[in-house]
Amino acid sequence: MTLILDLLPRFALWFVLAPLLPGIINKVKAWVAGRRGPPVLQLYYDLARLWRKGVVLSTLASPGFVFGPAVAWVAVMGAALLLPLGPAGGAPGFRGDMLVLIYLLALARFGTAWAAMETGSAFEGMGVAREVSYAVLAEAALITAMLALCVQTGSTSLAAMLAPAAGADAALLAAGLFVVLLAENCRVPFDDPNTHLELTMIHEVMVLDHSGPPLAVILHGASVKLLLFALLLTEAVLPVGKLAPGVAAAALAGGVLAVTVGAGLVESLLARLAFRRVPLLLTTAFLLCLFALLMAWKGGA
Amino acid sequence: MTGTWLAIAGAGMLLSLLAGFRAPNGWLAAFGAGAAGALGAAVTVFAEGGTWEFRPAASLGGEAIHLRLDAVSAFFLALFGLVGGAGAVYARSYWSEAAHPRTAGAGRFWWSLLLLCLGLVLLTANGLHFLMAWELFTLAAYYLVTLDRRGREVRAAGWLYLAASHLAALCLFAFFSLLAARTGSWELGPLRDRPELAPLFWLALFGFGLKAGMFPLHVWLPSAHANAPSHVSAILSGVTIKIGIYGLVRFSGWLPAPPAAGWVVAALGVASAVLGVAFALGQHDLKRLLAYHSVENIGIILIGLGFAMVAADQGQAAWGQLALAGGLLHVWNHGLFKALLFFAAGALVHATGTREMSRLGGLWRAMPWTASLFALGAAAISGLPPLNGFVSEWLVFLGLFDATLAHGPAAWAAIPAAVLLGLTGALALACFVKVCGVVLLGAPRSAAASHAHECAPAQRAAMVALGSGCVAIGLAPVFFWPVLARAVADWQPAWGGVVAPAPLAALSRVHAALALLAGAAAVWLWRKAGRNGLRRAVTWDCGYAAPTARMQYTAGSFAGIITGWFEWILRPVRHAPRPLEILPARVSCGQHTPETVLEYVVEPAGGAVMRLALAARRFQHGRVQAYLFYLLMGVAALAALVFLGGSP
Repeated sequence: MTLILDLLPRFALWFVLAPLLPGIINKVKAWVAGRRGPPVLQLYYDLARLWRKGVVLSTLASPGFVFGPAVAWVAVMGAALLLPLGPAGGAPGFRGDMLVLIYLLALARFGTAWAAMETGSAFEGMGVAREVSYAVLAEAALITAMLALCVQTGSTSLAAMLAPAAGADAALLAAGLFVVLLAENCRVPFDDPNTHLELTMIHEVMVLDHSGPPLAVILHGASVKLLLFALLLTEAVLPVGKLAPGVAAAALAGGVLAVTVGAGLVESLLARLAFRRVPLLLTTAFLLCLFALLMAWKGGA
Repeated sequence: MTGTWLAIAGAGMLLSLLAGFRAPNGWLAAFGAGAAGALGAAVTVFAEGGTWEFRPAASLGGEAIHLRLDAVSAFFLALFGLVGGAGAVYARSYWSEAAHPRTAGAGRFWWSLLLLCLGLVLLTANGLHFLMAWELFTLAAYYLVTLDRRGREVRAAGWLYLAASHLAALCLFAFFSLLAARTGSWELGPLRDRPELAPLFWLALFGFGLKAGMFPLHVWLPSAHANAPSHVSAILSGVTIKIGIYGLVRFSGWLPAPPAAGWVVAALGVASAVLGVAFALGQHDLKRLLAYHSVENIGIILIGLGFAMVAADQGQAAWGQLALAGGLLHVWNHGLFKALLFFAAGALVHATGTREMSRLGGLWRAMPWTASLFALGAAAISGLPPLNGFVSEWLVFLGLFDATLAHGPAAWAAIPAAVLLGLTGALALACFVKVCGVVLLGAPRSAAASHAHECAPAQRAAMVALGSGCVAIGLAPVFFWPVLARAVADWQPAWGGVVAPAPLAALSRVHAALALLAGAAAVWLWRKAGRNGLRRAVTWDCGYAAPTARMQYTAGSFAGIITGWFEWILRPVRHAPRPLEILPARVSCGQHTPETVLEYVVEPAGGAVMRLALAARRFQHGRVQAYLFYLLMGVAALAALVFLGGSP
């Protein structure tokens, strides 16, 4: 019972704050381009509107078309709740919970990919193929990053792994995790959330046929995932566990804001990569995490 | 108590052998009793602890009969009983008298013999009897693979299986006879204090590894599992290859192993895991793809076993126990979900008449049960929480992470193994998204796929039983820990008692909450969509005027990105004749992934042996004068040898 009472406020925090991030990124992009841009709260308006709308289902789709996004959303939310929130505490951690987090993200991928394949559309098949293929490399990088944090702190539980600051390898780890963040959340240079050409999309093409509440759930889940990666990156680099609660909260908020603005700047200043170059960049991210792991190893030995 | 259960099991199996040809229902009842007896015996051993031994005053082949059941063999016996029983229920309706009047009876007979001999391999504690039971089950499996031997491919697959199995049996003959020669008896048992026996492990690794389908000795596995009837594929993949793992676990625990053995097993495991799933991605035959996933999962099991052996060598109980427990649990898990997947694949193949994924599609509509159970198996084999595949992979991962944190020499192997195990999980997910998407979802790609029908209730019941096993281990892994702990303690008594790692209870809670919430969210979202108003329309196709089912993404294109990364070993063969006319009417393009090790290593080697043999045949031509000349030369050579060498 106390566990539920403890989880509920953090659930509410994730639920309410997550859709802010895409708004901030869009604002940054507009600012760099000299436009006024959509309001920061635009995603909230979109979600509220979609939630009230009806649903158009493909004639080929089974109920799995709607179940998939629901399962994916629960999985992403579960992964988010496993992540400690600095002063706000975390779920009662256990050894190996960082693997549960990684595999919950995989479950979310399975859910969205399943829903996309329901439609039998070649575009969506293409998007799913790209998503699951690039995720292979991103997952290798993510596991290496987690290993680096484990070696550094001598623990396999998220709460202990993320409390101290990353040592000398912080820069490497941050760079590697930032690239993984861009890939997993389908931002430039891997994917362009604003593109309108089906052939070149990854994530956007997977949700082409979704509408109404299922689309709202997908968009909300995507924003939670972005916040999750931004927070993971911040907590991996900053010594959140060693600061006073107020300072830690401010540091977390500042870190997440910095990462979000960074993603927006990358999106404004870089062109997206050709698909055949994507594995190269992801391998680079993996190598960055691997070097971070080796440095952590040297430091701990 | 164990003895009573085993007597029931044995009596049931023998009765089912007799009933196999004539009385299908009697066969099913007797076999069911036998399987239940085996399960009961295994449960009793786990509940009571200790080892059950039985030495009747009888002998076979000049050797006294000695049966023995400890936690390690009971662990495998439980799986064999469960999957064998479910398979019998499935087989009764899948390979029925009506559908296969010529072979149904034989199929039942060989099925009973296979399971009976597998049980005897687990029970016997005598090397000679082990070899007899081993040989008999290999033959039974051969006849099961070639049950429908009208097809050329089936006969070829059966032949390859038989040849490979005998190569394995040859190694095991050498292994057991050398063991018997050095210990002076065929009796098997713990001999951990005899370091001179260690080199024999390499023979066991080759023989048992070949049977388990470990890379690169897996060459026989894909074709045998793909061409056998589906209930046979399920038993081969779920149970028979596990006997190879049993051999490795058994003799790595009983005999001393060379210090390098653990590293080699772990390296072979990593290679099997990554390359098995890479080959699976390149397949477009549904059952062949599933067969390659067996290679992958055997790899995961071997990673656990290999690191446990390293840990035993270095006296590191903590992470060794986790790795072995993960590997052993994966034996159960793979047995459950792979049998489930092959049962479902059998239903799909039966309903559509093809194994080609590019001719299937949209089967969820006609076969909702099979499709949902296949999806459950797919999620489990991809290692997704909250199902059983994740639990065992997670235990192996924990072992690897703890090995890394121990900062010992094992860390240098544990880091790449952990990363590659993660890679394997992501690749398996990609592969099963491909299979589910192409086979179950979308629109039917052929007339056969659009006229499919659901399978019989008995087949569904067998699949539901295995699926609920997957869910049970996934949601409550903590209840299965005592069983694992006992098997691990039996494997390496030096480690002492095993304590439950606390996180399993936490993982159970997370899994239960996840399953509950995901189910609730799915139902709620479906209702919400219904309340807001559901409308059906065609899939978005950019406004194209004449969309057809053949415009869907194919399995080959789907896997293209990843198979491109593995081209160095997959060596796909492309046929894409360049159109030469100005306005070509027809253009075709195809690609297929061969079994690289078989076609580029085994077949050339076999060819070389055949050429040598042909060359040697020229000496035999029927001219007596020449034969006399050979004799003379032989005698002269011997004389020279005697003269020069100075005989003793």
